[in-house]
Amino acid sequence: MDIEALLLTLRLALSTTALLLLIALPLAWWIVSGRGFGRALVQAIVALPLVLPPTVLGFYLLVMMGPLTPIGRLLIRLVGHPLAFSFAGLLVGSVLYSLPFAVQPLVSGFSSIDPGYLEAANGLGASPGRIFRTIILPLSRRSVLTSIILTFTHTVGEFGVVLMLGGNIPGATRTMSISLYDQVQEFDYAAANRTALTLIAVALAALFVIYLLPGRMSRRAERGELA
Amino acid sequence: MLQHRQGALALDVVFQITQPWTVLFGASGSGKTTVLKAIAGLLTPQRSRIVSHLADEPRILSDSARKVFLPPHLRPVRLGTQAATLFPHKTVRGNVAYGAAQAGPTLVEDALARFGLLERADDLPARLSGGQRQRVSLARAVVAAATLDGQGLLLLDEPFTGLGLAERDRMVLAVTDFLEPTKTPVLSVTHDIGEAFLLAAEVIRIADGRVIEQGPVATVLSAERERLLTQLNG
Repeated sequence: MDIEALLLTLRLALSTTALLLLIALPLAWWIVSGRGFGRALVQAIVALPLVLPPTVLGFYLLVMMGPLTPIGRLLIRLVGHPLAFSFAGLLVGSVLYSLPFAVQPLVSGFSSIDPGYLEAANGLGASPGRIFRTIILPLSRRSVLTSIILTFTHTVGEFGVVLMLGGNIPGATRTMSISLYDQVQEFDYAAANRTALTLIAVALAALFVIYLLPGRMSRRAERGELA
Repeated sequence: MLQHRQGALALDVVFQITQPWTVLFGASGSGKTTVLKAIAGLLTPQRSRIVSHLADEPRILSDSARKVFLPPHLRPVRLGTQAATLFPHKTVRGNVAYGAAQAGPTLVEDALARFGLLERADDLPARLSGGQRQRVSLARAVVAAATLDGQGLLLLDEPFTGLGLAERDRMVLAVTDFLEPTKTPVLSVTHDIGEAFLLAAEVIRIADGRVIEQGPVATVLSAERERLLTQLNG
């Protein structure tokens, strides 16, 4: 099996998850507490990768990162090389592509919190930041966990964006799914089988954790073990 | 001064708090809770001017004419909400300590003892009875108010609902004793005449969003008291 591709995929998935969590937490909270036209527009844009072919997203990112656009030229000047066909470019693509998977569970988790708790914390003099840390996050930890696992798994399985944006550079942009594609092209079905099984195992294990953990957490909370 | 329109309620009140304990008295839907929330900064009234004179310098909490509106956590005001809003993931101790970020644990332990919660301090709210939850809610509010060192105002929304009469009397005493060292004034909301008399408070009576009368409880609520007594005797 292509160990290099496996390690690269894990590195990409971990970095994407960490970065997306930083973006998705405030964004999801803004969506939940906002209203009106702006909120609807942002929600639509966030959900777009769910319905778009990944190649569309990959194509525009490829163009945007290239020397033809001002953003691309700025990036090239900043980083020293074009972002496309590099790990950094892949990371940007993955973050955008997995955005809805990170944001949607958080939005549903945040919006199920009784506003009375927030009002109580507010009335006790807690700052918005403290309320987010001490009330909102602990009360929606299942959603945070779901968001993390879905983002991770989705990034592990991503293909179209990587193909458009990263090409197939061993150690830099050749992820598991690209490696699988290569192996099939070369008629190496035994290797392809091992790669595919690994991807299935990662996805299944992650989904299993989602369905297993929350139930356990809530039962522990009921017994009063989580303070 | 406070003007606010919310649904069918047009709130238009002007009053000043001068006594250690003031009660906002009125039927449900008369706008009492809205007044508390506006003072705490949890809602933005259409027009308002709210000034605190508890510190050496007067402090403007909100002034719509000058577009001043302090966010809740910067106001020298603490609001005790009803017992249903205890944080479900925090223990009794965690709840009581929540508003006392800077204060030492002694204040919290003192409150737990006075409100009869020491034995339940490590339990989650879900395991408490209704009366116990109400006591946690009270303790949480007084601890938060006490950390303002006498420069703050404590607002309490129907603080003694769901308590038995004897328990209520004990809790009134616990609250006044606890706030005595810092001389923190209280503005509470009730529609219970007995409670207003028990607190021997200054009463601001509101109906349909307007202040009808303000004064000592014996004056403002004497007619209600007579009516109640007649009913009891008859």
